[in-house]
Amino acid sequence: MSLVVVILIQASFYALLATGYVLIYRSTRVLNLAHGELMVFGAFVFYQALTMFPGSPATAVVAGLLGGALLGALVYFVVMRPLAGYPVAVGVLATIALSILLRSLITAIWSGQTRYPAELLGARAAPWDLPGGIALTPIDAAIVAAAAAALLGLPLMLQRASTGVAMRGVAENAVLAAQRGINIHAINAISWGAAGLMATLAGIFFAVKVRLGPDIWIVGLAGFAPALIGGMDSLRGVALGALIVATAEVLASRYIAPQFALAAPFLVLLVALWIRPWGLYGSREELERV
Amino acid sequence: MSVFQGNPGTLKTTHAEDSALLPTWFVRFWAAVAILVLLAAPYVLNSFWTGIVNQTFIALIGALALNLLMGTTGQISLGHAGFVGAGAFTAAALITQFDAPFGVNLLAATVVGAILGVLVGLPALRLKGLYLAVSTLAAHFVIVVAMGQYQSSVSYGAGFTMPAPSFLGWELSGERRWFYFLLPVALLTLLVHVNWLRSAFGRAWMAIHHRDVSASALGIDTARFKLLAFSASTAVTAFSGALWGYYTGFVSVEAFDIHLLIQYLAIVIIGGLGSVLGSVLGAAFVMTVPHLIARAAEGVPALKAMGASVFELQIGLFGLIMLLFILLEPRGLAGLWFRVQAYFQLWPFRFRAWER
Repeated sequence: MSLVVVILIQASFYALLATGYVLIYRSTRVLNLAHGELMVFGAFVFYQALTMFPGSPATAVVAGLLGGALLGALVYFVVMRPLAGYPVAVGVLATIALSILLRSLITAIWSGQTRYPAELLGARAAPWDLPGGIALTPIDAAIVAAAAAALLGLPLMLQRASTGVAMRGVAENAVLAAQRGINIHAINAISWGAAGLMATLAGIFFAVKVRLGPDIWIVGLAGFAPALIGGMDSLRGVALGALIVATAEVLASRYIAPQFALAAPFLVLLVALWIRPWGLYGSREELERV
Repeated sequence: MSVFQGNPGTLKTTHAEDSALLPTWFVRFWAAVAILVLLAAPYVLNSFWTGIVNQTFIALIGALALNLLMGTTGQISLGHAGFVGAGAFTAAALITQFDAPFGVNLLAATVVGAILGVLVGLPALRLKGLYLAVSTLAAHFVIVVAMGQYQSSVSYGAGFTMPAPSFLGWELSGERRWFYFLLPVALLTLLVHVNWLRSAFGRAWMAIHHRDVSASALGIDTARFKLLAFSASTAVTAFSGALWGYYTGFVSVEAFDIHLLIQYLAIVIIGGLGSVLGSVLGAAFVMTVPHLIARAAEGVPALKAMGASVFELQIGLFGLIMLLFILLEPRGLAGLWFRVQAYFQLWPFRFRAWER
């Protein structure tokens, strides 16, 4: 039973990361391998705000989310907009270059030291005992709640809100959307900003739950596995992809060896790519388009 | 397909002339001068800089292999660091288990690399672009974890110490001896690579790069040539990895993480994708510039005070340079060189009439 809860928490965390990948891919057809760095940056802004205003964690969270979103939009305008229309591989290579640039800037600003923001928040991590011998910490509950909110709220926003409709239009046919008077660069920047925000959210959770340091980017990078398994352009697929990857990871680390936790998502990804490259819910014609 | 762009005023009338490696006496003269300068280099440079040149040679071998796959065949691979590691680990494992000699280990590493290339290349028959990149990146992580598993089970996680190898009874110890071993090896790899490019293989790979559907319409067996490109590339990569293991004298899984991949990507992108000259320039640039920066930073007290973060900034600088090349000059350093060449060839005009 507690294993199911562990898987659920891990899957929720992956879902938060994978939505960022999907949002970016839908709008600009870029696999953002610098997503982990967006996550670390936002988490460090959160930490910085927390040290400056120790009394109000809410301010720190808002500051972190804003920081991550602004960086996402900035990356779009500075790097991705000039590369629009290039082959997909160029975008991937550009984000790799960007990732090491951001990582070194983060290390230069905040140093490579590992921090524990949970200490600043005070000892509020006492787990609640639920029936069935399950111990749920508040932060774990928050991760699950945030993932559920994102997975339900984002599709609703894409369905109803005018910005969401514009985002879908740009994803479907950017040229046509531009012809109809949609400011596609603003919409794409919003997508990148939203992805930065989601990455930051995941980063804050990871920082509070585990630790914060420039080396946690690898956790953010692993989020592309569930995104691809679910389908790079499908928000619906994120939940299932995250669940599959989390199950594989938790089971591998528990029953085979803890070291396999890092390899498991990628092994599952390799198998998934072999069977169904466009993902569980992705659009099939994407393959020829890339 | 020559290493150098043709000089104006040389009219080529046969295919042999067109594909000649050293087409004119001018080129032949300067190639001879370059070889002589290289041969004298260890006696001019001190041990430290000879070491840098040695590392450049090994990086060049690996970079040529990556360029063959990414630049020539257009199959993006993010598993390069894993393949370098696979080569080094093959050599280390053979030494640990069987005490196998140098030549055997290099050969075995190359064969293991070729087999891995076929395995990783198989998805390439189905996957394109982004999906291929991701599957090779996934393969990288799987290979690295497998190597880490092997390392912790055999050497209790400490890594493998490599003995100083001897080649034809000539013990390779010290930078100068390594230089005279690595120089011919690197030149030979360069020659093999250029010969691949100007043969039917190279033409097939380039055709696949431009458009695989039309390549197969032209009668090219795209599946076969994609797999060949993968396994040729990974074989040479693993060979360079085994060389690297012997050269540094120590093999451990930490050396083959994503930073090594980024280093090789930096070499081919900064040098210029699809250009042999680019791989040479890129390898020299990426291997020497950090040390030049370090030397320059020693003179600046403000940078010296920052200590370890200077190293971080250096890595970031490579990210910045890569980004600038991707955004501003996708043909890399080789592209810059061709531009300079064209400027002097065409002077006082700006453009060739037929230049695209």
